This record gives sequence, structure tokens and C-alpha cells, in this order.
Amino acid sequence: MASRGTEKALSLLRRLPRVELHNLKPNPGAHKNKTRGRGIHGGKTHGAGSKGSGQRQNFMRLGYETGNNPFYLRFPCQNYYKGHHLKLSYVPLCMGQLQKLIDTNRLRTDIPIDVSQLIYTGLFNVKPLEKEGGFMLQDDGMDHFCATLNLEVQWASESTISAVERNGGVITTAYYDPMSLEAAVDPIRFFKRGKAIPRRMLPPQNLIEYYTDPKNRGYLADPKLVAQERFNLAQKYGYQLPDPRESPHRHMLLEKKDPRQIFYGLEPGWVVSLPDSVILKPTDPELKEHYLS
Amino acid sequence: MNYVGGITTRHVSITNKAGYKSCISLDKIYPNNNNNNNNNNNNDTNIRQLPKNEGLNFSGYIPMDKVEVKYCRSSGPGGQNVNKVNTKVDLRFHLHSADWLSPQLKEKLEEKYKGSITGEGYLVVRSDRTRSQQLNLADTMDKLRLMVNNATITPPQPSYEAVERNRRRHEAAVRERLRQKRERSLTKQGRKEPQYI
Repeated sequence: MASRGTEKALSLLRRLPRVELHNLKPNPGAHKNKTRGRGIHGGKTHGAGSKGSGQRQNFMRLGYETGNNPFYLRFPCQNYYKGHHLKLSYVPLCMGQLQKLIDTNRLRTDIPIDVSQLIYTGLFNVKPLEKEGGFMLQDDGMDHFCATLNLEVQWASESTISAVERNGGVITTAYYDPMSLEAAVDPIRFFKRGKAIPRRMLPPQNLIEYYTDPKNRGYLADPKLVAQERFNLAQKYGYQLPDPRESPHRHMLLEKKDPRQIFYGLEPGWVVSLPDSVILKPTDPELKEHYLS
Repeated sequence: MNYVGGITTRHVSITNKAGYKSCISLDKIYPNNNNNNNNNNNNDTNIRQLPKNEGLNFSGYIPMDKVEVKYCRSSGPGGQNVNKVNTKVDLRFHLHSADWLSPQLKEKLEEKYKGSITGEGYLVVRSDRTRSQQLNLADTMDKLRLMVNNATITPPQPSYEAVERNRRRHEAAVRERLRQKRERSLTKQGRKEPQYI
């Protein structure tokens, strides 16, 4: 029979979240704010040092480097870089590369292909922290592309969409916000953190137009309009549009993620425990409501 | 089985049968689509509602099964690539037996594009504009559509006033030309020796 202290400690351990940097706090009284020195041993210079601009309250302007060309003036403004910190860049993926991956069995076509699958090939590196949004499909090598697949990328041009659809495949462009992309890019590392799978956020204002446009096969576009655009594209590029519903792999080809989902088959709110090979699902109704919103 | 980042999950049915549907799932954003099956990319309805051509109207639809497409090598510089890769596109169909065009359109096409029609009656459209076969095919489709659209256009008849205006201007020009000619003739005669009878 454990003592009351031990029992209390164990119950706390069960209830409280994992200890992390944002959970830590020093004991009361451990941290003392620095106060201005007044009299006897805080006296003489009163915490202002000796002479100079510090004691005389005549400070040099912020950024001044005592005469040499300061950092903030060294580099001229370039209009080319205006707003670059707000823009996303994408890792290019050619149709020819895709075909090669499939031919060399580095990429499977019997399951839907998304960011996670492409990165699992080991040949690509997407860095969400460096403002990379994911993959962008390029039409280099689209003439000899002949694979039927369910593809989900972040950016696709019209000719690449036609190349995929001509072969009976399905292509969608989807947005992953930086946190979701980090999880998608390295799922195992994410699961090891022991955190619930987050909901994927909607695209920012400048990208909403792209992802709601049926011409780009955006994941937020009206499916009816997407079907119309598929037909129009087939007429534009001169091929007969194959119906994925009539293919033997129709279940795989028509599988789509919910706009809030990051992984196929896993819902937001679930905690994947790799060592125990168990998925923990939330039971609290408030949490459930949150993850369905 | 599901594959996520290379790990295999042993649970067979992870999601509930209905699937995860958040508040921004497509059903919620586009509720009017509930009448059609939610499995997207429904081609059937489009094929059933195919646009029809009547008289001199052309809807723009070209049936790809009624048209022959052949690929061959392109001309111009380009080394090994242009020598080996079939990027040129040759699109042809027999004009008279094309049932997707109305008879009036066929007549007009024959009239306007005599040069593109072979001896056997095939209308031929070619393109080697780009380096890509598929883009060239798109170019031929565009060209064919342009040809058919041009055939549907009848230039407007000039008005009575315009015809009259042109006739008056033409006649005035002719008169002026003959007047200048006569003047020049007199100048040249003036340079000759006078003729005494």
C-alpha cells in the first residue's frame, strides 16, 4: 500500500501533460527581478556604470555601430525580395521523375500518393520551416508519362493535370499549413512527440483562390465544376477522358482526404503510440467537437 | 492496411465506415451536390449532355474517337532529340463522312480550306510548334477549332452606302489618273520638234 504522498504524486503524473519547456516555471521566490540601486550598497553609480552615454542617459541610436556602416544600412532595398517572407516556395517534381520512381518501384501506385509517400522515397527534402509549401508538379517528361495514380501535390500546372488525367489517374492540389506539413513530412518523428494529430488549417488569403479553383483541381473546389473542367481539359489537349469509376482500382483512385486530414486513415485528435502499436482516440465530447470543427 | 511514412498499421478498419467529415468537408461546403453521387469526377453526365452542332453553329466539341492522330518527327534544329523524338502531330479525318459536323459546315470547310484537304478527302491539321508531343496535340486541336469557327463566320454584306462610296472613289481615282496621264503626254509633246505642215 503506497503512502498518500506517493499516491498523490502518481495521480498527478496520470493527469498532467508531459513536462516540456512551456510547462516549466521556477519556484516562487527563486527569480528576483533586478531593481534600480538606491542608497548605501546600491549607491555611488546607482547601477548606471561609469561615464559614457549609459550614465549620462544620452544613448546612441538603435543600430548605430560607432561610426562604421551599420548592418541595417549596408544592404539596399531590392524590390525583387519584397514580400518574400510571406511567399511559399515548392519543391519541383517532374513527370519524368515520377515515372522513373514508379518504374524503379520506389513509389507505389496501388495506394494514394501524397507528400508523405513522396518523401518516404527518400529522394526529396521539404523544409516547412524554410517556407516550403510542398511539391509542385512540372511538365518536363509528360509525353512519356503512363502511370495511373491518385496524386496529391501542392501545385500543378494545366499540362501536368492533363498528363495525369489522360492516363486515368486523379490529381488534387491541397494546402498543408507549416505545422501539418512538418507532421506529414516526417510522420514517425511527429508520432514520437506523443501529440494529438492536429487539424489541417485552411489556406491563407492569397492561396484560397488557387485551392478553390476547379481548373487547378483544388481540394476545396466544387466537385461538379471539377468534373466539367476534366472534360474541358480532355477536349483542349485532345484525349478521351477515362472514367476512374470504371477502373478496377476505383476505390483507391477516388479516395480523398478531408480538408482537415493530414494522413490517410488517421483523424485529427488521435494520438498514435508507436511503441505500444496503439491509437488513442479522444473521448471527451468537447475535444471531439473541436477536432470535428 | 494503411501505409503512413513507411510504417504498417495492423488495424484493418481504422476510420469509421462513414469516414472522417470535418466542418469544411466538401459535403458541407457544397451541399447541393448531394443529389449526384459524392464520388467525384462524374464523366457520365457530361457525356450524356454532349453539345450538338446544328446548321452553321459549332459547339467546339471534337470527338477524339472519330479523328486519327499520328505522331512523327519534327523539323528544324535540335540534334539527337529532334532526330529521335516523335513530337510532330498529324491530325486528320475524312471530311465527308464526319457525322459530328453538320453538312453546311462541311461545305464551308471544303470551300475555305481546300489547301488542307487531301485528294482522298481528308482534312489534315499538323503541328510541330513546341518540343512536347502533348502540347503539339493541343495546338492541333486549337487549330482545328479555329478552322471550324472560321467556317461558321459569314462576312457581313457591305451596305448600299458603302458600295456607292467605293464606286465613286474608284471612278474619281481613275479620272485623276487619266488626267495626269494626259498632262504628262502634253509635256512630252512640248519637248518634241514642232511639226510644220
